[in-house]
Amino acid sequence: MGGGVRPGAAGGPAARAGLPRAALQSLLLASVALFFLNFNLLGTASPSRRFSQDLVYAWFGNEAWLYPRIAIGGPRRAHPRVLVVMVDEPALALRGARWPVPVEFHAQFLAELEVLRPRAIMLDFLLIDPAPQQDICELLTVGARLRQEGIPLYLAVTRPQDLAPLDAATCHDSSGAVIRSAQVFTPVSVQRQTDGSDFVSRRYPFEQRADADAAPGSGLASAAVRMYCDSERAPDACLARLTSVAAADAGFELAWSPEGDPFNQRWSQVSCIETTSPLRAILNQPALPRESPCPPVATLFAGALLSPEVDPAFGAGNEALFNIADGAFILVGGNFRGSGDLVTTPLHTLLPGVYYHAVALENLLVFDGRPKVRKEFRTPKLAFVAYDLLVLWVLAAIFLWRQRWLQRAELQRNPFELSDAARGWIAPLIARYPTPLWILATAGLLLMLAAFRSLQLLAVAATIVGLIIVELRVAPAAEIRERVRGLLMYLAALALSLAVIVLATWVGYRWLRLPPGDWLGYFSFAAFGFFVAHNAILEFGRRVEELNLARSGGGESQ
Amino acid sequence: MSRWLQPALLALAIVPGAWADEPAQGATADACLVLNNRILGPRAPDRLLPLLSGDPAKGFHAACAVPWSKLSPANHPLPVTDCYRGSLLQVANDAACGRQTGPLWVDSRWVVTSAELQDTHAHAVICQQLDTGAWAGTRDLQLDCVPAKKELSLESVPPAPAAPRPAEPAAGPAPAAPAPAAK
Repeated sequence: MGGGVRPGAAGGPAARAGLPRAALQSLLLASVALFFLNFNLLGTASPSRRFSQDLVYAWFGNEAWLYPRIAIGGPRRAHPRVLVVMVDEPALALRGARWPVPVEFHAQFLAELEVLRPRAIMLDFLLIDPAPQQDICELLTVGARLRQEGIPLYLAVTRPQDLAPLDAATCHDSSGAVIRSAQVFTPVSVQRQTDGSDFVSRRYPFEQRADADAAPGSGLASAAVRMYCDSERAPDACLARLTSVAAADAGFELAWSPEGDPFNQRWSQVSCIETTSPLRAILNQPALPRESPCPPVATLFAGALLSPEVDPAFGAGNEALFNIADGAFILVGGNFRGSGDLVTTPLHTLLPGVYYHAVALENLLVFDGRPKVRKEFRTPKLAFVAYDLLVLWVLAAIFLWRQRWLQRAELQRNPFELSDAARGWIAPLIARYPTPLWILATAGLLLMLAAFRSLQLLAVAATIVGLIIVELRVAPAAEIRERVRGLLMYLAALALSLAVIVLATWVGYRWLRLPPGDWLGYFSFAAFGFFVAHNAILEFGRRVEELNLARSGGGESQ
Repeated sequence: MSRWLQPALLALAIVPGAWADEPAQGATADACLVLNNRILGPRAPDRLLPLLSGDPAKGFHAACAVPWSKLSPANHPLPVTDCYRGSLLQVANDAACGRQTGPLWVDSRWVVTSAELQDTHAHAVICQQLDTGAWAGTRDLQLDCVPAKKELSLESVPPAPAAPRPAEPAAGPAPAAPAPAAK
């Protein structure tokens, strides 16, 4: 892993080269790394990048510097809150209704939500089935009343024509005028996007276009996008900006928090404080939470709204209820067994589908309408990939700088190789048994390690400790000191690379609005990828140079 | 079976509603079980009270939203004439919504009742849980699909008209045609 430092290499052409030559060498190394990071054979590049992104949110999603989400009860109140109101079977039973949710229940429930004076209400229900005219008219009447009070209403649709059954009822207001559904409800798309590799819904669409060739901005805006833009001073400009991406399947990445909203602790049977340490991943423990029993968005169960017996702790004057809902974006969703309205979150857990829109809205709010978007949906795409190349170039330069230091220090041996003394000590042990036996034993050991992952870390640690003990016992003190210097240099270079990776990821996240999915690729190259590629590239460079020199020499001689 | 067990079981069976799927009881006493319950006033005087019409048998309907002064012009406590599942209280006022709506109901969430003041139980929230289990179900089966190849259609059976079905939770892009409710 040390790159094969040999005394003979110290005086090679690479060592004599100046800064431009070193820059070109590191550029070549970085370009190779960039190619392999984006080498998408059988779609292998995407899952690792997406999983890297998921790990960042699982480990640091609670941190305000990564995802300054709007926690009710938290100190941040700069943004309007998002509140999920969950309709379930017990809530329907309080009104004598059953699933599927009747339209008359929606009318009643909107009237109840009106008391909360929210900023906007979104119904994450498809009202596409026939319903009695009286029920539809009640819904439109209540909705019109809310609109008059300045509370926008958004209704989930699969296409704009889904509102037609509401208009077919020809409902009239108190003055006799026909109430059009478009006057009451703003239709919004609730289409989901999933990554094809793992079916996780970590990307939220900007809009739902009629087809892949439709023009940007021509589709039906997604629920969160429309709700956010309508709350802006210039809604049309906001919509045009967010839906301007050329790709029909474009969307933004959802920052996600593993920690539940503190408000949910009032009803959750489990703790809302979820901590997933990176140490767990190192120790072969699950790196992501197993489930999300306490969701990251404040959730009010409809039953608690409809009956004080379900939640009597809102205060004599409903103070706590008004505190969370007053001026909040309310998204009404359903949680019914067997309805299938579940979403696989970026933490690989399942939650009712309404949280997909709620978290998307929170993302738009906390990132001020500039959420994180992948490189493939950005323009100019080449510039964003060039940013990757720049980061890898710096990392490659650090790697080559370390290599040169080792050459200048004239280390006799790669710090990761066994010393001659250690080899001499181990050789008689190995020689006691025939080679086939060693091969079989090694194969058996590797089989065990592959089968029982908990043994892997143990075996690696035991091997390293064993070899260190052997080296300390048999290797000369001067050689040990030399190797320790080499190891420290390796660790220093790795630490510097890590700092560059953190900085690059942060700059990409904060200013370039890129999701944090590239850090694992960067790190894998800084830790060992460059070592693998370096020898081959050096050889390649050397050959090219030789050919070049030969050609030049030949030309001069002629 | 012992002499007393059989009559006891029989008595249980004939109790009206003994087998109904009642919602879970709250941490406090059921407001519907309190005698002479009265609505004393609104919890938040500055907010309107949403009123419902109808009855448990035919269903409830959103009627109107009025201030407390319209429900009780003299600001007197209103007797609760009926109660539904501890949530809805029927008030002795059927004209607050300005038309023939019949008896009106108000959600106990928005009003203070005398029963509530008598309640000495601990005010604990009922624990809730999101149901995120993935279950195999039949609700989304497309029974009225058309075979793509003609030779596969052994006999042509016109699909039965789908029964009117109210709203269902939005689950992303919906199927082309709503499936008949299986339950």
